[in-house]
Amino acid sequence: MKKHLTKDQLIKYQFKLASTRQSKKTADHLAKCAPCRERLEQIKQKFTALDLLQDQPCATEELISRTITQAAQKPPVKISYFRRPPWIAAAAAVIFLAGGLLFVPSLRRSHTSKSIETAETPATTEKIFAKAEKTPDRLFVVEERSTKEDLPVTDIKRNVEGASAKPDMASHSASDKTAELVTTIPGKPPFAPASNIELVTLPRRENVQITIYNSADLTLVRERRNLTMKKGWNWLQFMWANTLIDPTSLSLEPQKHTDKIHVEQLTFPPRLQQLGRWLIKSQVSGQVPFEITYFTSGINWRAFYMGTLAEDEKTVRLQGYVRVSNNSGEDYENAQTRLIVGKMHLLDEIAQLARREFPYGRKGMGLMDNYYLGDQPWSELEVDKSHPLPMFKGAPSAKLKEIKKEGLSEYFLYTIEGTETIPNGWGKRLPSFEVADIPVESLYKYDEDRWGGETIRFVSFTNDEEHKLGATPIPDGNVKIYRQINDQGNLSYVGGSNIKYIPVDEDVELQLPAAQEVKIEPKLIDLQTENYVFDSRGDINGWDELRHWQVTVNNTRTLPVKVEVTRGFDTAYWTLEITGGEVVYQKHDATRARFTLEVGRRTKQIFTYKVRTYHGKREEAFREPLKIAFVTRTSEIFVSEAEVKNRRRRSFNYVEDDFWPITMLTEIAAVRSKNEFLEVPKEFLCRLAL
Amino acid sequence: MARSDEALIDAHRQGDATAFGELVCRYADSLLGYLIRMSRDRQQAEDFFQETFRKVHQKAETFEGRGRFKSWLFSIAANVAIDGMRKQSRQPKMISLNQNNDCPDCGILESGTALEAEKSTNPFQTAVLTEQKTRVQQALTQLPYRQRTALILSYYQGLTYKEVAQAMGCSLGTVKTHIFRALKTLADLLPDFQGGTIK
Repeated sequence: MKKHLTKDQLIKYQFKLASTRQSKKTADHLAKCAPCRERLEQIKQKFTALDLLQDQPCATEELISRTITQAAQKPPVKISYFRRPPWIAAAAAVIFLAGGLLFVPSLRRSHTSKSIETAETPATTEKIFAKAEKTPDRLFVVEERSTKEDLPVTDIKRNVEGASAKPDMASHSASDKTAELVTTIPGKPPFAPASNIELVTLPRRENVQITIYNSADLTLVRERRNLTMKKGWNWLQFMWANTLIDPTSLSLEPQKHTDKIHVEQLTFPPRLQQLGRWLIKSQVSGQVPFEITYFTSGINWRAFYMGTLAEDEKTVRLQGYVRVSNNSGEDYENAQTRLIVGKMHLLDEIAQLARREFPYGRKGMGLMDNYYLGDQPWSELEVDKSHPLPMFKGAPSAKLKEIKKEGLSEYFLYTIEGTETIPNGWGKRLPSFEVADIPVESLYKYDEDRWGGETIRFVSFTNDEEHKLGATPIPDGNVKIYRQINDQGNLSYVGGSNIKYIPVDEDVELQLPAAQEVKIEPKLIDLQTENYVFDSRGDINGWDELRHWQVTVNNTRTLPVKVEVTRGFDTAYWTLEITGGEVVYQKHDATRARFTLEVGRRTKQIFTYKVRTYHGKREEAFREPLKIAFVTRTSEIFVSEAEVKNRRRRSFNYVEDDFWPITMLTEIAAVRSKNEFLEVPKEFLCRLAL
Repeated sequence: MARSDEALIDAHRQGDATAFGELVCRYADSLLGYLIRMSRDRQQAEDFFQETFRKVHQKAETFEGRGRFKSWLFSIAANVAIDGMRKQSRQPKMISLNQNNDCPDCGILESGTALEAEKSTNPFQTAVLTEQKTRVQQALTQLPYRQRTALILSYYQGLTYKEVAQAMGCSLGTVKTHIFRALKTLADLLPDFQGGTIK
């Protein structure tokens, strides 16, 4: 190889800048020369860095709309300035004074003629205006206008009644700046525009209210915007790109002139994803307040609590907070925020609805959909109509905001005082309530089935008036418990817990971490078997087991504690006898017993018990006779005290038509024989007092 | 069936109110990308964007249809951008107090980084990527206007050299010379890029 390729040659070859002949020559050389190929690879590698800027930015809808609007306007008149020599000002002043002295009468005359011109100005304006009326607006961008000030309103009448009619602004009511039209509007609606021409885009919100249904990741948004309507048909575009708004829930309602403005339909144009266009027929022209209602996902709230136990652990001070997080893709400024406590049922997940390519799931469906017509607007479905949207209440006050709580059908409504600005991606924590000196009980629980060998501490109280609560349910959330350790108010962290939704008058039980200062240790002292039963072949088919247990409770705390020990026996056939210690027990469920005792400060307490369990055929010795009910078609119920030998539970189809008086059986067990009578559980017989 | 660019501009000249809007929508992303790469400033690029389409709207009558509409559009955009940047270079530079001084290039870098940040949850990778992009963008900025225009139109906007020549109003040879000189300069300025990271 005589000579290697230069860097320039390689660059030209790589980017096809060389002539065909030169390219062929370079290619031939590269085929034979490995070092040159390697250098070419290096050059390729070098220019790979350029690909880092390959991302294509996205032009916003707003930019496109602005561009189309601006392009249609005339270019601004250019004013060119030139540098004046200093003497020009003096010369001009001299000329002006001389001219003024000589031509005063002429000035007067010219002033008069100017007045005449001024008098003609309205007519000229009228012509311009009339021309503007004839020319269709290319784009109605309300967004660019000030939303705080009402727009100047056009009196369309004057155009209709004759060009000579002067605009009479004085006759306009200051409060109602919307003018009525006397012209007729073509009955046939226009076809949905394929582009952004002739659209009213949404201006900024006047105010907004968000109601967060936390349990279902659902937020109802009601926002008010002042839209500028023009005569006849108006298209209004609403986009929800990059948000979690459910397009199928969109609703639009005028707040004024409801008899003259009709929202005809909501369409979803093809190829333009994540936008909808409302067709509005308006008999009036000017600014009209509208309410837009929709569901969105991504806004949620959580409750947090801080409990501070008193030094003696007999009372707690409970502080509640709510944290509202916004991940919906939309900023909500000055929003009145309401929180719904309670569960609700939803057919669809709003977030999934929002992310669908087509609003109604399938291509072609939902286009020019008239679901809106005759449908009850969401705002009417909204449960609470008694709270009108508060207008801007002004600057936030320095005091803490109050959260107003009220019952609402199946739910509970928390309304945060004033308005909150919650930008997308932000969270905000607000105090909800604070109650001091709530009487509480500490309980140490031991249950091997649930927590192994650990003793778990619980703090419990009731959500009722006696405990200084009970005004509202307590939403589920995270609780952190502290304990006051001295008079200076120093705290020690005790533990945290999650609580579920606590209705009024229900118990609240806060589970804290495993206790280290209260230890419970059960020990099996003795095991015996007896009362063997044999079958006809002489094999054992029944026996009793007798276990003797000793439970040691060691309290090393400086406070007396209440302890609850739950013991399971793996069978429903058992009897128990306390053999030592100051303890009481009760049957907790079929297979478990629960012991409760109080242990003094820094005390070790021991109790013992014997439990007999029945196995195999010996189980029958444990059972009590079962009452049997025979229910006939005539609804007569007979009860038998006879013991049934075959106690297997029989389940059959329950036919309500045949046995209507015993519908309540479904609550217990639908047990029915095929011979027109039922075996009814004993509990049910008791309820009917048979 | 979608109308061609030439049919749309013709319809616009005939008074079809929707045609111009459709053209704007069609070239919005591509043109904005070009202008951001040219100016390194999204705000300024949006101004150029509007100015370009304002000129297209006004000068629609002068489009003779001999070349492609895309070339014509980019030729206007190139002139608007070059004029705008020259004007700006003569004026004292204003820096917003709200501007993030760590990342002055808030155009394509910002949008691209945001996208990457969504893809990658690793903040380190995001930071590295941002720095790499800044360096590439800085290298591009050091090129003379016409070299930069030729390179961006061909490399990023996908125009052929012939279309670039039409857009820039010069000969094919001149375009190739511009691009060659631009690449030669970049070969010295660009950082070494190996295995997804820049050394």
